[in-house]
Amino acid sequence: MLEKFEKFNNRLSGWFEWIGVAGLLAMMLVNLIDVTGNKLFNSPLFGAMDLLQFSQGVAIAFACAATLIVGRHVQVEFLVTRLPNRGKAIIESIDLLLGLGLFVLIVWQVSLLGYYYQAGGETTYTIHIPRSLPAYGIALASIPVCLVFLQRFLSSLTKVGKR
Amino acid sequence: MSPEVAGIVGIVVLILVFLLRVPVAFAMALVGLVGFAYLSGAETALSLLARDIFDKFTSYPLSAIPMFILMGSFAFAAGISRRLFDTAYYWVGQYRGGLTMATVLGCAGFAAVCGSSTATAATMGKVALPEMKRYNYDDKLATGTVAAAGTLGVLIPPSTILLVYGYLTQESIGKLFIAGLLPGILLSAFFVATVFFICLRNPASGPPGAPTSWRRKAVSLTGVIEAMILFGLVIGGLFAGWFSPTKAGAIGAAGALVIGLVRREISWRAFWEASKDAVRTSCMVLFIITGAVIFGHFMAISKIPFVLADWIAGLPLPPMGVIGVIALIFFIGGFFMDAMALIVLLVPIIFPVLIALDVDLIWFGVIIVLVGEMGVITPPVGVNVFVIKGIAPDIPIETIFKGIFPFLAALIICTIILIAFPQIATFLPSYITY
Repeated sequence: MLEKFEKFNNRLSGWFEWIGVAGLLAMMLVNLIDVTGNKLFNSPLFGAMDLLQFSQGVAIAFACAATLIVGRHVQVEFLVTRLPNRGKAIIESIDLLLGLGLFVLIVWQVSLLGYYYQAGGETTYTIHIPRSLPAYGIALASIPVCLVFLQRFLSSLTKVGKR
Repeated sequence: MSPEVAGIVGIVVLILVFLLRVPVAFAMALVGLVGFAYLSGAETALSLLARDIFDKFTSYPLSAIPMFILMGSFAFAAGISRRLFDTAYYWVGQYRGGLTMATVLGCAGFAAVCGSSTATAATMGKVALPEMKRYNYDDKLATGTVAAAGTLGVLIPPSTILLVYGYLTQESIGKLFIAGLLPGILLSAFFVATVFFICLRNPASGPPGAPTSWRRKAVSLTGVIEAMILFGLVIGGLFAGWFSPTKAGAIGAAGALVIGLVRREISWRAFWEASKDAVRTSCMVLFIITGAVIFGHFMAISKIPFVLADWIAGLPLPPMGVIGVIALIFFIGGFFMDAMALIVLLVPIIFPVLIALDVDLIWFGVIIVLVGEMGVITPPVGVNVFVIKGIAPDIPIETIFKGIFPFLAALIICTIILIAFPQIATFLPSYITY
């Protein structure tokens, strides 16, 4: 059951990472069009900064679950690695529970922020992208992170139970 | 509990949470959130969490970071590192310790197109270690050189750590980048000298390679030209005021991609892998900054940075003594934490102290990067050492750490020289007016 859950998370995070990569490449493209337009044709890309900020929000948020899965986030490793397996599993379950709690709060609060922006009709300054869009995007992209934490937490509980 | 006591408790809890192996970014966000909630109420803290995440993820000044990370990833995929190493090898390979000197020079060259210490060590390690093994180089010398020379990646511009430092202190990115250039060249020279002396004492540790003809030497320079053009375009454009840091990074990324495509080094698969690697690293860095900003809000309302500033200002020490104490804190912190995380965590706390002492923040940035980078090659959390261990799994980790020490000494001497002669770092930035 947990293996299926893990496979589902890996696949979902992989799809979301595609979106993140698209956001990152869009950032490069927007900058290139803006610089080329500005330097060669004296016509910078209208709303380049808005597009860049939006793309960056997408890139970072949607890559978060995959970054977590591959263990790319910086951790202080030197103490826990010296503990016996059971001790490691107990500490791991505490870590994962804390991470799950943080990201549940992020999903909830950033969704509320998105709703607040939507209700107020807030948009970016030049091309008027609704500010609620990246906010909802960040909240949505944080859901797979919660799922990864949940699956790993459940797995760590089984390790704690083992003698 | 007074705000100051709450702040101190928060710092202690943060260290404990770090030791529990919670990712640094999430630990700072969690402790910052709980601390802020304790001092200002849960509703305000939760609303601040959402706003900080939204603001940092969509921050224009921070957008330079993903672009320079993408540039480094594409530069690696384009094989620039391998060609730089080959060129350096053709020029110095026939001397005693020549392969390790070529590694240092290759790292210095790759640092000019990549802003990460770990990426530089990993990239050059994959290229240089098999060659050094083939020529029977001493494992200690070979691995120690690659791990240490990787630190040039964050000193020679572009540098992701200096970008983040510039964001935290609101200093000019252009000035910070150019400030790292001469210290980077100086450190490269120190590393080459270290290799020379090691091989002088023990010639068997770095046997000379086969001599190469002058024609081959000259032809090999084409491998340097593309990196020089890319560096000149990106850093030159930044200094000349043609591009903002974000645009310079994007131009660099596109330039590295074009080099890879023209040389037929970047396939679809390599392109996808490089892009994935870049987005993951960017995510990690921006999350650390966001976590630090949330923790920083808690520190600000606890008034700890100001109390600390008053305390340090009251110490019976001259300003240089205070800088020495701060550098020592960074040095010790570097044993346990990644340089980026350490700088993001500590710089906002000590910032009021630096302002009170009227410290040149450009010079201080270079010093702190050097001191922070000592941490990536020292135990127990020497990230570069673990990276090299991953590339050379048959070499015991103790051997790599032993190989580091002569280079750590060179790094410390270089830092002392920079403290004694700040002009080495401040000379070039003085010519930039923005």
